[in-house]
Amino acid sequence: MGDDVRTLAATALPRPVAAALVLVAALIPVTMPAVTGTAPACAAATGPHAALVIDTGTGAHSFCIALDAASVSGIHLIELAGAQDHLAYGFGSGGQAVCRLAGVGPQGDDCFADYPDYWGYWHGDGQGGWTWSSSGAASTRVGDGALDAWVWGSGDSGATHPKPPALGMDDVCVPGTVTPAASPPGSRSTSPPPAPSSGVRSSASPSSAGTSRPSSARSATRSSTAPVSVAPPERGSPTVAAFAATQGPPGGGGPGPGLLVALVLGTALAGGGWLRLRSARRRRSIG
Amino acid sequence: MRDRRSVHPMAWIVWATSAGFVAFVTTDPVYLFLLWAVSWFVYASHRVDADHARSFRLFLTGATIAVALRTGLVFFGTVSAANTTFSFLEGLRLGTILVIFGTFNAVTDPFGLVRMAPRHLHEPALAAALALSIAPRTVAGVGRVREAQRMRGIRVHGARALPALAVPVLERGMEEAHTLAESMDARGHGAGRRSRYRPQPWTVAAILIAATAIVAAATFLAASAGGWAVLHPQTSPITWPEADPLLLAAIGLLAAPGFVGRTRP
Repeated sequence: MGDDVRTLAATALPRPVAAALVLVAALIPVTMPAVTGTAPACAAATGPHAALVIDTGTGAHSFCIALDAASVSGIHLIELAGAQDHLAYGFGSGGQAVCRLAGVGPQGDDCFADYPDYWGYWHGDGQGGWTWSSSGAASTRVGDGALDAWVWGSGDSGATHPKPPALGMDDVCVPGTVTPAASPPGSRSTSPPPAPSSGVRSSASPSSAGTSRPSSARSATRSSTAPVSVAPPERGSPTVAAFAATQGPPGGGGPGPGLLVALVLGTALAGGGWLRLRSARRRRSIG
Repeated sequence: MRDRRSVHPMAWIVWATSAGFVAFVTTDPVYLFLLWAVSWFVYASHRVDADHARSFRLFLTGATIAVALRTGLVFFGTVSAANTTFSFLEGLRLGTILVIFGTFNAVTDPFGLVRMAPRHLHEPALAAALALSIAPRTVAGVGRVREAQRMRGIRVHGARALPALAVPVLERGMEEAHTLAESMDARGHGAGRRSRYRPQPWTVAAILIAATAIVAAATFLAASAGGWAVLHPQTSPITWPEADPLLLAAIGLLAAPGFVGRTRP
């Protein structure tokens, strides 16, 4: 996977983005050694699995995630979904909180920037029932057969926050079948960005793919690649399908023009300061 | 005594508070590094004398150490690119505030501030001014003692130089405090009377400095409260920091002291 990214970065991307990609690719084996080994999603139904349901308010998506340990944190489950099914995500508070999933949610490090709307965290009982999580995703352990759900909406508790769709474990991880790979892994950064289509629909209603919330449309435009690729609906439940929002490069689309302005401004200020100090020193040595 | 045309100390308080507020509300490295550049530019344009120059360098070193320490704390836990970046940005914010404080220290005369304090706050203000001036005075003292030692051909380095340095520096500090107390007593401080000798005027430059700084801080306050700009870039996964043109302009305003109110030596 690392090599993939590296060659792609060298050929198709502007240099700073490529440099960032190579840097991140080089860091991945260091930081998450287990992720690189588990590329095909649910390829073997033998290992531990957990279900992840993402409800953006305009559509629900579910993932059957192969775990890379007996139990992982709720945060790591999302990272695994990103690695296995190209789920786009963004964490805040230094990677402790969930800000953005499938292009919905605030861009920065403050996950309550869009409050009262935020990502509510639920645990499933496996039979379609859901309970509001009493702890954060970073400190929650997700083991084999567990269901996690994230629902975008308002409401400060399980009583008022919208509930995820009634899904059981068998609706997401169909027993005995092999989940098809959602999209070819090489397609993530090669194709140019098409018209801003939100990549956050389930395949149940592909006709309304362009009608999601403005915030998700915005983030879809910002990440430089957003081709929607929806897996063939081979799953049991019609409301649930494999979902793949192709994730942009880790740079989120590369540096904007503001960065260049900032660089020029900073250099001018630093250089100006240096010149002033030098001329002051010269005056003093003359006087 | 400083030049009459020099900038009113209150303008510097407003500038430093505003710049510190800007650094406080963001962890975007673009804005934070720009604040370092702005501080450096303002320091270069307005520094009071060579002794204060040394204290600015002290704060610059302290800021760099703060950044390194905060980033280094990551290595006691799980190390990942995301949380290393997050810690670095947190450290950078702390370091920026230190650099701004160092600039404030280098461009103002702490005792000029005491004169502005309301009468009933005079004594706390005096204590604050003494505390503020301790760093530059100690640095200046160390410099003088070393120079004196060098002139006498005393060359000690490393840990053994410490007692030889500490004793005269402490002695000097005591003497200076004593002299200061006597001179303030002679001028009527502490007797309930306040000196009105040569009150510092609010020049156009001082008003400009304070006003631009307030506008800059207000812009960041609006961005922080209104949420129309990303002030805390996402670090997990790492994204490029953003640079909002309006906020860049606001930081540019903080460099205004570099263009007004300079006293030609």
